[in-house]
Parts: sequence; structure tokens; C-alpha cells
Amino acid sequence: MKFKKIIVILLVLPLFAFTMHKYYVSLCEIEYLKGKQSIQITLGVFIEDIEFTLNKNSGKQLNLASKTEVGNIDDYYKKYLNEHLQISVNGKNQPYKFIGKEYDGDIVRFYLEITDIKELKSVEIFNNILTDDFSDQKNIVKLKVNDFNKTFYLNKSNHKSLLKF
Amino acid sequence: MKKLLVAALLTVFSTSLFAQETEQNTTPQKAHYNTSKFKQLHEELPTPNNEHRASGAVGHEYSQQQVDYKMNIVLDEENSKIFGNETITYHNNSKDNLDYLWVQLDQNIRAPDSNTQEISGGGPDVMYSPSKFAKTFMGKPFQGGFNIEFIKDVNGKEVSYLINKTMMRINLPKPLASGEKYVFKIKWWYNVNDYIADRGRSGYEPFPDGNNLYVIAQFFPRLAVYNNVEGWQNLQFLGRSEFALEFGNYDVTITTPKDHILNATGVLQNPKDVFTSAQHKRYEDSKNAFENPVFIVTPEEALAAENGRSKETKTWKFYAENVRDFAFASSRKLIWDAMAVNLNGKTVMAYSLYPNEGNPLWEEHSTRAVANTLKIYSDFTFDYPYPQATSINAERQGMEYPMICWNGGRPNKDGKYTDRTKKGMIGVITHEVGHNFFPMIVNSDERMWTWMDEGINSFVEIYAEYIYDPVLFPLTDHPKNIVRYMSGDQTGLEPIMSQGEDLTDFGSNAYGKPAAGLFILRETVMGHELFDHAFKTYAERWKFKHPTPADFFRTMEDASAVDLDWFWRGWFYTTGANDIGIKEVKKYYVTDKPTERAENMAKRYGITIDKLPPALYLVSEDSPEFKNDLKSKKPEDYNLLSDYINENFSSEEKTELKAPKYFYELVFEKPGDLIMPIIVEFEYEDGSKERKQYPAEIWRNNDAEVTKVFPSSKAITKITVDPDEQTADINLSNNSWPKKTENKFEKFKKDQIKG
Repeated sequence: MKFKKIIVILLVLPLFAFTMHKYYVSLCEIEYLKGKQSIQITLGVFIEDIEFTLNKNSGKQLNLASKTEVGNIDDYYKKYLNEHLQISVNGKNQPYKFIGKEYDGDIVRFYLEITDIKELKSVEIFNNILTDDFSDQKNIVKLKVNDFNKTFYLNKSNHKSLLKF
Repeated sequence: MKKLLVAALLTVFSTSLFAQETEQNTTPQKAHYNTSKFKQLHEELPTPNNEHRASGAVGHEYSQQQVDYKMNIVLDEENSKIFGNETITYHNNSKDNLDYLWVQLDQNIRAPDSNTQEISGGGPDVMYSPSKFAKTFMGKPFQGGFNIEFIKDVNGKEVSYLINKTMMRINLPKPLASGEKYVFKIKWWYNVNDYIADRGRSGYEPFPDGNNLYVIAQFFPRLAVYNNVEGWQNLQFLGRSEFALEFGNYDVTITTPKDHILNATGVLQNPKDVFTSAQHKRYEDSKNAFENPVFIVTPEEALAAENGRSKETKTWKFYAENVRDFAFASSRKLIWDAMAVNLNGKTVMAYSLYPNEGNPLWEEHSTRAVANTLKIYSDFTFDYPYPQATSINAERQGMEYPMICWNGGRPNKDGKYTDRTKKGMIGVITHEVGHNFFPMIVNSDERMWTWMDEGINSFVEIYAEYIYDPVLFPLTDHPKNIVRYMSGDQTGLEPIMSQGEDLTDFGSNAYGKPAAGLFILRETVMGHELFDHAFKTYAERWKFKHPTPADFFRTMEDASAVDLDWFWRGWFYTTGANDIGIKEVKKYYVTDKPTERAENMAKRYGITIDKLPPALYLVSEDSPEFKNDLKSKKPEDYNLLSDYINENFSSEEKTELKAPKYFYELVFEKPGDLIMPIIVEFEYEDGSKERKQYPAEIWRNNDAEVTKVFPSSKAITKITVDPDEQTADINLSNNSWPKKTENKFEKFKKDQIKG
């Protein structure tokens, strides 16, 4: 049997994982402050990895965190985050406000906030950041509500976590 | 079985009873073993012997096997196959008679029956290329793995053997006595894999122009290590935990298409035969190029070669002395540049081979990064003993072999690259060339202890990179960058002292954490002088030998007189993290009126207060005994003290006396599991600052909280614990007094609005 060669899709696999100081992980810290009625979300991602994905999705060279970074980079970030990080509060999907981002070495950190949450009964986090392109990607979600701490490890096959109070 | 169940139920029942009783506080307390975090590691470290001494040094009965290889290799590019004919000479230097030898067949992880795929879990991939689909689901796996044609002894007689996945047992016709050698021949071939599609450290990278770049390693049957620590180190190769290999001499010929350029472990023996005369002249001239890299094979020559497809062959001859492995890279696309490096009068060659796709980044940085790595690592350990070190540009690689390594990182098609690409490329070259020292020369067992080569190498790498480019590689990133890992949920953490295959987060555990730990030892706990001597001692003692973790731990203490058992115990044997904070600060004032505490003491001794010897007392600002007028009093206002000073000190000495006015009681808390020194920064009312470091042993008697009295001539306005983040403290919210109320998120938000 002969296979007709159609389009060669080069699947980019995280080969580095074996051999050098490279690992695929993001960290999403979520804290509810009752006094401020606010859910503060800080998400750290490796620039190199998110750049790979954003470049691929947009077909452009975005040159993240460099002098030649595209001007409207936050639009790319917002679009990606809205698709890959979603948060439901008390059973209802809650859009978050994009406060801003900072570059810190190899990491880009996003600051996101959901306001006017008077009471927290449940939080559901959908997070499949980078799992499409990096099969080893681990997304760590740390939740802090008052003195209660909980950590979830999400990955390619498990990208949702729910917590009820 | 039933009995056991009853017993188990009873245990559960009595435990719950026990819990109730505890609440009522009627149960006598239970005894316990020594749980001190400063307890010496006698129970964790192996008993010293005459091969591995208690000092961490090499023992007088230390022995090590030697294995020499003579190989003829053919790279058949047209069929993507490699053929080999090898003669192995095994020297049994141990005191033992050996019934059999174990040989590693690493290529067998690509065999259709390999365990590597079987043991990896996870859901379906996002997408499957047709070839991957066929391989994965349709019973058409890649026909990888060794095909052994024969194994014969020197007389041409067949040798019996057994293959168990990636390990092969050579059944010796008679036991190999101590001091004897055994010579045998293996003829083999295998299909070379496309490593871009299939992952792996070895294989070929295909290019759109139809050329391949071969980076060939783990490509021949190699002897496993036999020693007095593991016996035969024949843990199966599963793909992650790397290699344990014996040193020996390699005499190798490699036949390639005539238009290929190749470099390998060792020294090229026939440059005249394989280079053009111009290239040969440049090859010889490069030995004096100490200033800048020069081309041996130019970009133009590489461009011209990549259009050809020669059917003729040529043979490259290499010789490598006292190495633990052999690897080579070959393609018609390769440019070759070179620079000579002077290491205390000895010349070592730094080489880079890369396709035009790597430029301009590679000709600018690769060979310079190799040279820098050799110099800095030599400073930390010993002068690089091999004649050359080569960096090969193979995409999405980062893998090390003696004298040669594969490194990823290329500019965009237009030749532009970001600082991050440059940083990644210099980082990986430094790391992989650095591996020449750990584990290629200081030859720890990679199969067992990933951290011993990856962690120690990543530590020296920090300094080599910083020296190459302090802006791209600031030292201030360390040890901060391990905090995220160490503050993670305990269920996802393992101690560093774990075998590589068992790690959840391989990179952080085996690379980042040990490197950060050694960084803390050098910068904060021991200081450069003590650390550097001890570290060098370890490297010197164990070069060209097989050290164990205990040899490292023991040498670092033996050569420095610093007890580090608490550090090894916490950082390497547990998953604990550091969290030290300032819990409470109390201000005290001086009085000559005996305090309640003093009265109580007098009572205990059965005397009245006036019988106490004359003394000064400290009164807390918030105690009922405190009177406001004490605030204006300085210690020397009390005659008791001023008389003493006048009687006992000369006027010269008096000027040197400190004049503390404020006395602070500092309560430090330690919610974290690890022991660390306490570094405190005091900021005074006049804006000046002062640092104080309390040694780690401050936690000896109380693991949770310690109190110190700190005298000061100026009022303190702010106290910060670990102000430069030198100790991988995972929680900075308790590091300041007065407490910071604004968290990082709010600070960022405020700055955003301002900006």
C-alpha cells in the first residue's frame, strides 16, 4: 500500500525535555480577597513557549519581549488567554479584566482580575494553556481563599478543576 | 490472611481511640528517635570502605574497569543505516572474577518491542502525522534497534549472549579472573531514526533541501559499568536517565559520503585525506588562532557541498584517549570554525560545526561560548584535559558526549534572532560543553543519579554564562528561579536523592534545585574561599573515576570544616522548602531598677533583691514596668555602667565602644521545613542600612522560632529578612517588619494605573 504524500505537518515536540534545563510548565495563582470582593489572578508562562504558539497561530513573528515586539501584543495575549484560561465563579463564567503583563527573565506574567464577587461558593478553572503544542505541558493552578490553599496540576488530558466551598 | 485483616481493623479502631484520648491529655507522651535536622547523615550515607573513603576521597583499594574499542563504522546515507564492526577489549581491574559481562544496547529503545513506549502514560496527542498514526495504531512501528550479526572471540568462535531489552549479557566461556582481559568482536547495524519526528538524542535532522544532519550517539554496543557500588549497573535504559560507562581508548574509522564534513570524539588522525588542501592548511593554521574563531570549512564551501550527492565515500580516522564514550556528527551542510584556547600553557581547540541556517548567530557565538566554558569550568575544577571540544548545531537538541555535543538554536530564516534565541543557544552550548567536566570526566553514574551531573553542571554553568554575558545571564536570577518549584504542592515533589526516572518535574528536580542549592552554599552559607577549595577538591579527587553522592557530600565537608549534613539532609534528602519570617519586634530600654524577672530570680535563689549584684536591666516597651522617662535614658547615663567603663577602659578604648540606645528583641519564625541562615537588613531612621547574618545553627534548639536581642544606636524603621532573596524563601509575605499590606498583584495594578 502506498500513501500519497499530502501535507507534511511537522509536529514540534518538546525534545529538550529530556536533555537540558527545559521543562514545560505554567503557574496560575488565584487569590480571592473577600474584603476587596476581588479575585486576583497571576499567570506565569515561559515566553519561548507562548511565543511559539502565538507565532504559529498568527503566522507572524511577534518577537515577544524584544525591541521588535509587535505594537499590539496585548491583543494577541488577551485573545489567547480568553480562549485557554476561563474561570467560572459560583457556577457562572466570569470574564476577567486584563490588568497588564510583565516580562521577568524567561517568563511573562499576566495580571488578571475579576471584581464584584461578594461571596465565593465555587470556582471552576479551565486551563489548557500551551497543551496543544507541548504535550508535556503542565499547568499548575494554586488557589488561595482566606487561609485555604489548594493546588491543582492540569495537563493535556485533564484541563479542568472545580472547587466548592 | 483473615487474621491480618482483623489486626488491621483493630489498629484502625485503637488509633481512633487513641485520638480521643489525646484530646483529653491523658496519654503519656511517646518517645521518638533523633529527629534533629542537624543530625549527622550516618544512617543515610553508605558505610565508607577502602574504595570510597569517609573523607570523600578515593580509597587505596579503588579499582575501575577499562574498556578499549576499535571500530569501523559505515554511515549509509542512502538507506539511513549505520553498520559497525567493533573489537572490544575488556580489562578486569576489579578484585572479582566475572562470570559474564553486561553490554548496553541503547538503540533498542527504538525497537518495536521496546518498553519505553509501553511505560509512558497520557491521553491522545493533539494531532497525528500519517507516519505517526501508522506507527502508533496500525502496527507499522519504526524498525529501530540493533541487529546483531555476530559476536565472536579473538579466535573467531561464536560467543553466547542473551538480550534483555536494552541490556545484553555476554556469557563468558570461563570466568574472567581479576587482572585479566577479554577480547571480543560484535558486528551490528541499525536503521537511523529521524530524531525530529521521533525524539531522541541521536539520529538525523532532515532539511528541506533533502540533506540530513547526522548526530550519532549511543550507536554502538557499549560495556556497562561494573563496580563495588552497584555491581553491574544494568538498570534498563528507558530514554531519560542517561549513561554509566567505563573509560577507555577509542580507535575509530568512519566511512561517509565523500562530500560530508564530520567531527567526532577524539582527534582526527588523517586530516590530509578528508580535507581539501586549502581546508587542511586552515585546519593546521587554526591551532594558532587564539584571538578569534577562523574557518576550517567556509560557509561558501558548505553551500557548494550541500547541492552535491556524492556516491563516493571517504574514511575519517579518529583516536580518543581515556574517554567514556564516542559520538560523531556528519553532513554535507556543515561549516567548521575553530579557535585555540590557552589553558595555563596548554592549547585546547574549540570547534563549532553548523549549517548555513545557523548563521550569523553561530559564527558569532558558538566557538566563543565553547572557549569561555572551557576556561571558566577549568577555573572551578581542573584544566580541561582533552585536546578539543566541539559544538554541533542540531535543531532542538541539547546533548553531551566526550569532546562533542549537539546544541539547538537558530535564527529566523531572514537571519534575525531575538535575545532569547541567543540566550537559549549560548545557554545550551555552555551547559553541554560543561558536561565534559561533569560527567564525562568526573564520571558519576547518570543512570542512577541525574542530579550529580545535571545539577552540578548547571551550577558551574551559572557562572560561565554570567561571565560570557552578564546582561543576558544575571546572577540575581539565582536561587530565586527555583522558588516556584519548591513552593509547589508536596504531592508533585520528590527529593533530589531519587532516581531520574521517578521524577515528576525532571528539569526542576535534577537540574534547577541542586544548582540552586550549591549556589546558596557558595554565596551564602560557606563563602567563595571555603566552597571553591572544597569543590575543586571533589573534582580533582574524582576525575576519570566514578564518584557517588556520598563522595561529593563528604568531600565538601572534609575540605572545608563546615558541617553541611543539615543542608544535604534538607535540600537533597527531603522535599522541604525554606520560609523564614520576622514575627515580632519588641523595643527594650535600659534601667537600673530590677525588673519582675529579676525579682523572680532572686526569689528562686532565696535572697532579697538588694542582695543581687549590681546590674542593668532591659524593660520591654509594652510591659507594665516601662516608664516613659526611660526613653530619654542612654545606658551610660547610669553611674553603674559609666563608672565601670571609666575604671576599666583607656580613653582610646572608650572611643571604640559602641553606644547602643535601643534594644530590639527580634522574634524570627520558621514555618518552612528547611534550615537556613537568617539574613536580616535593618533600615534606620536616618535612612542608613545594616546587614546581619545569623548562621544556620541558630535553629539547633528550636526549629520553629528563635529570638535575638539586637542593640542599636539608631531607631530601626524597617526590618527585612533575606532582602536579596538569597535563600529561596518561598513566602516573602512574612519577611518584613512592619508587615507589608500590599501584595504583589496590588502593587502591579497601582503601577499600571500610574504608568
